[in-house]
Amino acid sequence: MTSTHPAAPLLEARALCFHRQDEPVFGPLDFRLDAGELTLIEGDNGSGKTTLMRILTGLLRPEEGELFWRGEPLTWDRCSGEVVFLGHQLGLKAELSPRENLRFAIGLHGHREQSGIDDALATVGLAGYEEEPVRKLSAGQKKRVALARLLLIPAALWLLDEPYANLDRTGIELVNGLLETHIAHGGAALVTSHGAVQFHGGEPQRIRLHD
Amino acid sequence: MTDARYPGLGQACAAVLRRDLTLAWRQRGDMVLPVLYALIVTSLFPFALGPEDALLRRIAGGVVLVTVLLAMLLALDAMFRSDIEDGSLEQLMLAPQPLALMLGMKILAHWLATAVPLIVVAPLLAGMLHLPSPVMPVLLLALLLATPLLSLLGGVLVALTAGTRRSGMLLALMLLPLCVPVVIFAAGALAAAQGGLPWIAPIAWLGAALALAVVLAPLACAAALRIALDS
Repeated sequence: MTSTHPAAPLLEARALCFHRQDEPVFGPLDFRLDAGELTLIEGDNGSGKTTLMRILTGLLRPEEGELFWRGEPLTWDRCSGEVVFLGHQLGLKAELSPRENLRFAIGLHGHREQSGIDDALATVGLAGYEEEPVRKLSAGQKKRVALARLLLIPAALWLLDEPYANLDRTGIELVNGLLETHIAHGGAALVTSHGAVQFHGGEPQRIRLHD
Repeated sequence: MTDARYPGLGQACAAVLRRDLTLAWRQRGDMVLPVLYALIVTSLFPFALGPEDALLRRIAGGVVLVTVLLAMLLALDAMFRSDIEDGSLEQLMLAPQPLALMLGMKILAHWLATAVPLIVVAPLLAGMLHLPSPVMPVLLLALLLATPLLSLLGGVLVALTAGTRRSGMLLALMLLPLCVPVVIFAAGALAAAQGGLPWIAPIAWLGAALALAVVLAPLACAAALRIALDS
């Protein structure tokens, strides 16, 4: 995907602040994210990681500061379709099977070339669970279904809120592998975590939300 | 921004519709409840009022109408609840599709799953109360216009109360004044048909209200849900 403004970063934040009932949650934050970059957002519980994520998706409005998407002010309709958000609520229907959930996601967001639903489920280690209702899967397996969505939907920016939660060691490696491939293909990703995370591909940029 | 990889509107609408209808079918026990409720309420009327033919014939249309509309209220507050709880609504908002249209599809799916079964059993309910058969088509026409109108109005109110806890009570209070004109026009058509008078005018009013609601209600839903999630 080529940018119309080569000089402009994919996502840029200038003096971003957020208050909840006059209590400052975080900020002011300044950062920029280019295509092919990975940024870690670090902070303790309650430091505003999820809030920052929701602001970056455009679901929540920041109170102060500015956000730019490809050099233009970010609004929810400007970046929609180019951003995939994986939050605490995975957006999966418990009564539907992983395959049906993913087919719905593709119908709504579009389909990346050369990727099939069953292949994506096999990649995240869910071969054999295609027809099982999501409600019967474990928390980690549900997370893997949501990760399979990342493989199928075309997007320039991944916003992953605690992608490592509920995952076992192979799951953590899976997330790291997905991120490395995404970055290598020129995608960008913002990842929140409150623990130490190891990446194989270079040292990521870090944003700290501690005061 | 337009990209060949993004699905077209038709494809996205079909995806939402298919998912919601599949979900409704998987939980078809919930679909049966409003029908059962309508069946019980209408069968209680002859017991309470006495099996007097003339009386039942006179109240049949109104009873069926009110019962069906009340039965729809049972399922109304579930319209967006599960989507808000499991994060599907956030995903819907982030999709490169117009949210209002997608919500319109959700309302359509909800109407198909809750109101259509009620409309199907309505002739049976009306027959139990000896509604004259020439009035039956008017009853069905009134229901076909009144139930989607109620779904659309209800959808807006459900979206407005989405952020609040225990929204059921608030929803019922807010919906009451909006229900009244729907019932007045639908019942007016039935009464006119039963009296052998022209009944097209109240039906036309219902149709006009429905046309207005089809256009405006999904837009209002989208705005209200964006505000509800912005907190």
